[in-house]
Amino acid sequence: MRSRVLFARLAPLLACVGLLAVWQVAALTLNNDSFPTALDSIRAIPSILGDKEALINILASLRRMAIGFGTAVLVSIPLGLLMGRSRSVASFFNPLLMVIYPVPKAALMPIIMLWLGVGDLSKTLVIFLGVSLPVIYHSFEGAKAVEEKMLWSGAAMGLSAVERLVRIVLPAALPEILTGCRTGLVLALITMITSEMIARQSGAGNILFNALDMGQYDTVFAMIIIIGGMGIFLDAAFERMRERLVRWSEPQFDIPLSFS
Amino acid sequence: MRTISKWCLVAGTAFFLIAGARVSEAQQTIRVGWTIPAEESKYWMMRRPAEFPDLGKTYNIEWTQFQGTAPMTQALAAGALDCATQAPLSLANGVVGGNLKAYIVAQHVYEKPGGFSVYWAVMDNSPIKTIADLKGKTVGISVIGGGTQGPFNMLLKQNGVDPAKDIKLVEVGFAVSEDALRQGRVDAVNMNQPFAARAEAKGGTRKLFSLSQAMPNIVHILEACRADFVDKNPDLVRAYVRDITLGMKKALANREETLKVVSEVLKAPIPVLDTYLLKDNDFGRDPGAAPNFPAIQKMLDIYAETGMLPKMDVAQFKHPTIVAPLQ
Repeated sequence: MRSRVLFARLAPLLACVGLLAVWQVAALTLNNDSFPTALDSIRAIPSILGDKEALINILASLRRMAIGFGTAVLVSIPLGLLMGRSRSVASFFNPLLMVIYPVPKAALMPIIMLWLGVGDLSKTLVIFLGVSLPVIYHSFEGAKAVEEKMLWSGAAMGLSAVERLVRIVLPAALPEILTGCRTGLVLALITMITSEMIARQSGAGNILFNALDMGQYDTVFAMIIIIGGMGIFLDAAFERMRERLVRWSEPQFDIPLSFS
Repeated sequence: MRTISKWCLVAGTAFFLIAGARVSEAQQTIRVGWTIPAEESKYWMMRRPAEFPDLGKTYNIEWTQFQGTAPMTQALAAGALDCATQAPLSLANGVVGGNLKAYIVAQHVYEKPGGFSVYWAVMDNSPIKTIADLKGKTVGISVIGGGTQGPFNMLLKQNGVDPAKDIKLVEVGFAVSEDALRQGRVDAVNMNQPFAARAEAKGGTRKLFSLSQAMPNIVHILEACRADFVDKNPDLVRAYVRDITLGMKKALANREETLKVVSEVLKAPIPVLDTYLLKDNDFGRDPGAAPNFPAIQKMLDIYAETGMLPKMDVAQFKHPTIVAPLQ
């Protein structure tokens, strides 16, 4: 039993080590300049993280990501909830979202750049678009699943429509909303990098794409590891927060309806 | 008393007007696009701004890095940039397709006779000995429809190879061209510095032909500014071009420091840059960053001849006074 618990705890670490081992063997077998070994790439990480300028660049990207993600969450959750509870709002926004949803957000960058310039605003907007769609979708699904009886009870108790949305729909849909936010967080990280592909003044893309242009592949892969690490850390932190917020929705907290 | 207060008011107003004018002068900003590699004068301005008396004092630069010259053409045409690095073809495409009006104010690098010229390499043991042997082969080029394709197409045609039908043209970025060739994914591929120096040091490849066979003095990258911006802010652009001239002078005068500057910008180790930068196997740089308008005209003629552009006159890119070298 104890060994099973230990294995479950070490599983993520073992998966990472396994991946690195496969990478190391593949790189040694292929012996290709553009595919450095895992060890060479890991060795390049300290020089990136030890460089003050590189850290400023990474922080600049994270700042844009935080703004894009935060704004998207603030806008998308109310919109998704409204769409879930109002058929007319849903039928108005659904076609628009269906048009935007399949478009790769990075592909919009050249057009957005022409409207908003080459500064932070256009990159933040790309992150916003990347994050908002999954959050809207999950908020919509969460709100739609709320039982009508609960809303009727709320109305019977004298709650207004807005109060019902905030005090009944929002908490009930929260587990679904947070699932959307979790997906959005990963997409924010992806769009954070792709938004810096074409034009940039600062950012993690500076390090990644410059290294790519110069054929410095150990730096390229080191940056990929760093970005991957950031993804794991952000996801784990968010998951912890999610667990605390929606603990009540876990199956073990279900109120037994009968003792049979 | 009234006279004193009146004078105080006048003096105060004058002070604020002068101060305001100075502030607005200092706040004048040029939005400049740049890319890597081979823009040493701009790298000096970015990394050693104290070496430029006007930079940061009478005017500022908002630098934005781009992936290649084509997106910068779009940004210039949209008014999102004031000045940017351009290749002659991308600039001409902006004029034709984007209604861009611009002046060429300086030049960064060109192919000086005897210096480095972008070339197509094959493996040492390849049966391809001449351009004509490329028939039926897979050939790599850095950007399909990019600046090197005009002279490349012309050389192929001169040797009886139809670039549209006789070869399979694939896009292979300069950084991975050596790998693509050694692994046999392409039969011939174009090489640029610093990757050419690295491949040559390793051995096993040979030069098949270079762009200089199509024409000498090919201009690879130049500096262009939007015509409306230049016409509206001639003094500001003059100061900028003066600094590009100065930057080029500094880059050529102090190679050791230029290596450090370029290494800081490119994040490439100095030993890698030292194999070619500002050496005989590098591109040429005009000491005054002066654009070679006749060479650019010849390139435009080649693009027209190969059907990549309509006929164009380089005179439209020439400002009567604002052009490097400016002292």
